[in-house]
Amino acid sequence: MTALFELSQAQREATLLPQLTELTEHHRAHCEPYERILGALGIERGRQFGAIADLPWLPVRMFKNHDLKSVPDDEVFKVLTSSGTTGSGASRIYLDKEAAGAQTRQLGATLQTVLGGKRLPMLMVDTVSIIKNRRSFSARGAGVLGMATFGRNHVYALDENDQPDVEAVKGFLAKHGNEPFLIFGFTFMVWLYLYEVAKEHNLDLSNGILIHSGGWKKLIDRAVDNTEFRRRFAEDTGLTRIHNYYGMIEQIGTVFLEGPSGNSLYCPDFADVVIRNPETWEEQPIGEPGVIEVISTLPRSYPGHVLLTEDLGVLHGIDDGDWPGKRFSVLGRLPRAEARGCSDTFSGGQAA
Amino acid sequence: MKLRQRFPAGADIEADALLAELTGEPDGGPLKVGDERIISFLTTFARKLLAPAVARRYPELASLGFFLRKAEIAKALARLSDGDASTLRFPRGLVFHIPPANVDTIFVYSWALSALAGNRNVVRISPRSAGAAEAVVDALNEALADAHPAVVQTQRMVTYDRDDAVTAAFSAASDLRVIWGGDRSVNEVRKLALAPHARDLTFPDRASFAVISVDGWQAASAEARKEAVVGFYNDSYWFDQAACSSPRVVFWVGDSDAAARGREEFRQLLAEVLAARGEVIEPAMAVQKRVSTYGAAADGLATSIRFDGNALATMELAEPTTLVREWLGTGTFPQVTVDRLADLVPAIQRKDQTLSVFGFSRDELVGLVKALAGRGIDRVVPFGSALTFSAIWDGFDLLHEFTRLTTVSV
Repeated sequence: MTALFELSQAQREATLLPQLTELTEHHRAHCEPYERILGALGIERGRQFGAIADLPWLPVRMFKNHDLKSVPDDEVFKVLTSSGTTGSGASRIYLDKEAAGAQTRQLGATLQTVLGGKRLPMLMVDTVSIIKNRRSFSARGAGVLGMATFGRNHVYALDENDQPDVEAVKGFLAKHGNEPFLIFGFTFMVWLYLYEVAKEHNLDLSNGILIHSGGWKKLIDRAVDNTEFRRRFAEDTGLTRIHNYYGMIEQIGTVFLEGPSGNSLYCPDFADVVIRNPETWEEQPIGEPGVIEVISTLPRSYPGHVLLTEDLGVLHGIDDGDWPGKRFSVLGRLPRAEARGCSDTFSGGQAA
Repeated sequence: MKLRQRFPAGADIEADALLAELTGEPDGGPLKVGDERIISFLTTFARKLLAPAVARRYPELASLGFFLRKAEIAKALARLSDGDASTLRFPRGLVFHIPPANVDTIFVYSWALSALAGNRNVVRISPRSAGAAEAVVDALNEALADAHPAVVQTQRMVTYDRDDAVTAAFSAASDLRVIWGGDRSVNEVRKLALAPHARDLTFPDRASFAVISVDGWQAASAEARKEAVVGFYNDSYWFDQAACSSPRVVFWVGDSDAAARGREEFRQLLAEVLAARGEVIEPAMAVQKRVSTYGAAADGLATSIRFDGNALATMELAEPTTLVREWLGTGTFPQVTVDRLADLVPAIQRKDQTLSVFGFSRDELVGLVKALAGRGIDRVVPFGSALTFSAIWDGFDLLHEFTRLTTVSV
């Protein structure tokens, strides 16, 4: 059942390092700006690396300011864009046909670990209008649409006016509530529009499998963290199979998935994570917070295989949890770098 | 919209009401250029800034205090008396100042010189201002106790959130509008009309550089080199290297092998200063520096990048004429070695403001400035003085700009 969460850390190093080294060479050969960056850092072509943590990383924001792709223009099949939350500009991620197929396949395989092989009836904790309005396609819309392929008989928990549609949810549960079903949504929406509603109406979610993502920032003032989230869902709705995940458009198809017992994210077998000390940029020991670097063998059409995020995280352990490999948590975002300068009498973010 | 009255502190007020209050003739008659009532107030204010408690907390306010000492004011005024007897100098009238949000103190220089020129002034203090700006406002209000009533009758500082109607009202009423804060601000504010006779004094985005003579470096004593690096540190790190006058690119001028040795020593000395001062770069800033230096490499502008801890990043420019002018993050220095000072000439543009220099003779620098022929570079200063404000700024003699001339040729 856990086909994609099987490699111990030692096996992962041994398996992924040659693949990642090959990918580094591949991107150097096919993405000139990437080659220039590594060249400027003094990393010669053909360099061998002693460990995954020694591989050169790119800051994830590079994809906002630069077109980084390792496929010729005429082979670009899809360009993903996301503004993310770091402000200025949108990331542009270039996929060729093969990469587009691989990301869907690998995401599906990753989720199969917790969903099983069959497509399940799916409750979307979002509004149907999020995917209807394709012209203003948001990152949230893309997430919803991307996830929709892993379920069937979709029902949306919010109506077109963003109001909770209790009848729709009740109808879904009446039809599918007695067999395993999939629930998907962004963490704060799941809390506000599913938990609260389910509690109020005594809905039974005990056959559900919840997949959620998006961070806890919007729930801080409600004093809801992951532990509280899981506890109250279990107590008040019977929902216990809850899997948070961490992923980003710049590494599309790769998600770090929360294990069954909660509070730790795990890397699928084609991915890894390094927590870095923000002073020395060395790898942090277990328990020491740092900046999250995400590693995946998926990105072949753009140099996104080793990325330094702008998120803070902490490693909880290695080969000692629900699944093998590293387990970690995301702690929040790095604050944005702001300078005192002359040129900003009226510049962004203070229009109010 | 109601404006918050910062100086003199008072109840919230509408723009029109504030303008109406400024139209009456002040006690003791209209302000003159170099009016005693204003000089007396400015010098009291300067003393408050130089008080040890204030100066310790905000060293930049001490610089401001020095700038406003009686002797300095007299010097600035003396430069004005350059005309013959048939030329009389008067205030422009009402001056509206729009300073930047992030450099806490520049609004005070702009305002003080305009007040010294005898103008009525309205200054918009950004709602985001903090720290030093608050201390300034406090000191101004304290200095009022001994001030002539004409001061409050002519000088106003207000805070309001961005509001085009308010800015438009002040603009329409003003004889001179002073816009600090970069290209975008200038363009935004310029959409709002001035009276036909009025004009703008603008301070748009600028870029500044450091230039080191390889010969001068070699000739300097160990002590002088160390001092130069401390000056460079102050110029660069004080305002997160983001002030218009903070050096961005560092030029080394001379023999390239000797320059390489000089650079290495400079880098070591700078690292020592950074360690001694306990310069801390936040993780987000460290990431910002990676993003911008990697970006310069990706674009082919830089051929090598080097990080000495988070506080110091250097990169080698591919071409001495293709400079990186934008802010790259605190402590990020593109570098390039050129043979001769004249090699800078093709690289310099209109927007380039300050050269902080080390190791050159005055003649060499005058030669460079003449070769530039006014096409760029408004000031050449020694290391350590890049951020020192002067009454001549961005090519303008501010007291001249803040006054107008009437001739009587009878």
